[in-house]
Amino acid sequence: MAGNAMTMQQSFTIFPFDPPGDVAKLRAEVRAFLAQHEAKLGVPNCWVVGDPEFSRALGAAGFLGMILPKEVGGHERHPLERYVVIEELLAAGAPVGAHWIADRQTAPLILRYGSEEAKQRYLPGICRGEIYTCIGLSEPGAGSDLAAVRTSARQTAEGWRISGQKIWTSGAHLSHVMLALVRSEEGSERNAGLSQFLIPMDAPGLTIKPIIDMAGEHHFNEVFFDDVLLPEWAMVGTRGQGWVQATAELALERSGPERYLSSHVLMTALIDAAGPNPEPQIKARIGELTAELWTLRQMSLSTAAKLAAGEDPMVEASMVKDLGNSFEQALPQRVQALVDCPSTRDDDLARLMRALLIAAPSFSLRGGTREIIRGIIARGLGLR
Amino acid sequence: MSEQRALLCDTAEAVFAEAVVEGMAPIEAAGFDQLLVPEAEGGFGGDWGDLFAVLRIAGAKVPHLAVGERIVGGEISRPIGAFILVAQAAGAMDAALAMSIDYVNTRQQFGKALGKFQAVQQVLAIFAVEAAAVNVAGAAAAAALDKAGGDAEQALFEIAAAKLRTNKAIGQATSIAHQVHGAIGFTREYDLHKLTGPLLDWRSDHGNDAYWADLLGAMAADLGGVGLWHEVTRRG
Repeated sequence: MAGNAMTMQQSFTIFPFDPPGDVAKLRAEVRAFLAQHEAKLGVPNCWVVGDPEFSRALGAAGFLGMILPKEVGGHERHPLERYVVIEELLAAGAPVGAHWIADRQTAPLILRYGSEEAKQRYLPGICRGEIYTCIGLSEPGAGSDLAAVRTSARQTAEGWRISGQKIWTSGAHLSHVMLALVRSEEGSERNAGLSQFLIPMDAPGLTIKPIIDMAGEHHFNEVFFDDVLLPEWAMVGTRGQGWVQATAELALERSGPERYLSSHVLMTALIDAAGPNPEPQIKARIGELTAELWTLRQMSLSTAAKLAAGEDPMVEASMVKDLGNSFEQALPQRVQALVDCPSTRDDDLARLMRALLIAAPSFSLRGGTREIIRGIIARGLGLR
Repeated sequence: MSEQRALLCDTAEAVFAEAVVEGMAPIEAAGFDQLLVPEAEGGFGGDWGDLFAVLRIAGAKVPHLAVGERIVGGEISRPIGAFILVAQAAGAMDAALAMSIDYVNTRQQFGKALGKFQAVQQVLAIFAVEAAAVNVAGAAAAAALDKAGGDAEQALFEIAAAKLRTNKAIGQATSIAHQVHGAIGFTREYDLHKLTGPLLDWRSDHGNDAYWADLLGAMAADLGGVGLWHEVTRRG
């Protein structure tokens, strides 16, 4: 329809999700793998929960680095085959947090823009589920306004010198390397003059300080750089092009199944607790949740297919994130409104509900706040 | 989109534009009632995806005409009727969204276009997401009907999910459309009600929220928690 002035606008471009090969077989392989690790499953918000042993097992089974070339340890599968694998892992509540960022975005970025040295050093370990990464974007003065980053990289005779601070860095304490966006051109402003660097977390001059969240858990951190020395090859891509490279990653980050499945284990528990013949009110609410889940999955599949076709689905990805975050965020409160779950109740359903009630505020903050995401959608509509 | 479907949509745009004043006659004259009739029987040989594409346009251009029921013909079952309304709602919602965007980009208050205010931008983003959800759900229901060879019982899961999701979206989208239009959108003279009126009717017709939530909830409960996920992925 596009390109014909007469035809109607469509709010969402639809791409068919059609991975190559035998998808049913692939799904069965993932489910068989999960069945072998059943004791580890059912984790709420599971993609921020790290379990290196589980990550290594996934790597050994060939489920990490799926889209990377064989010469760096990858499996040369199609991106939509990888999608099938990750949606199965997330729906089961598998603890995929340790390798999640590395497999989702750092590895593809290193493959695309990284130096030969960086590829050899990091990609095989990522594919084995042994090397984990974090993303250094936010700073104390640069949250939603990412272009305000001030952490600097200064070129010297020995290499690059990094100074400054990142904050809200998820998994920094479990990671081997950070992909950081820093200001490499002195005196530059806003989104010009930024570059991306790979910074080893054990580099001298780098300090990690935990930030405990309101659930009492340690996911994010402050990371300080005191004149950290990096070799030339640590720069990723083109000097000064960090903004374009970093924002291109965001479509990968925003449309995946993790944007609507963070609370899925609770939906599973709700349906199981309700049994095959629930009372009418519970049945109706389950029906509504099912319709929303199914629709979101179709939107996410279509966006993944558009991305795999080499097109930029920035607006569609933002729509998936906005709607998906609202769904996964509201789910624990909807369960709370429906099922009698006093705070003394201690079965699976109650435990998952309480954990997700506390975790849910983060869902529409991480990866771009709801307001920023809606601003991107509004720009796509021609309003900004 | 296939070239054939793109041509079909071009024709639909032109014919439905005539139908705005002339009613169903030009639609019948153009042979749209032959859309689903197989080529071997002298029809167009279109599939449910084609029907979805055409009904989107009908929903935007001639929401007051029962185009879907005329094309499908005969006794309309509730699931097929629901699918028709989802398709028409997808088009009507996109059209109401386009009207709303156009209005806020034109209407000035406090010395600037309404669309420059963040509060207005944010609610229109919600509207766009709801319209997108209906379009995606409708296209997926059409794909399920094609897979099932038009047997609505086999595509009941997708149709139920799509109609229920559409009903929810209609509630939000029509409210936002009217809110951003202000008083002018509440007048007889202004065309917004030609979209929002039918949209609100379609929310009741061929199964309201309670009907489809009960039906889909029963299916999900019967499948169980993990079984539901397996079914959703098996269906594609």
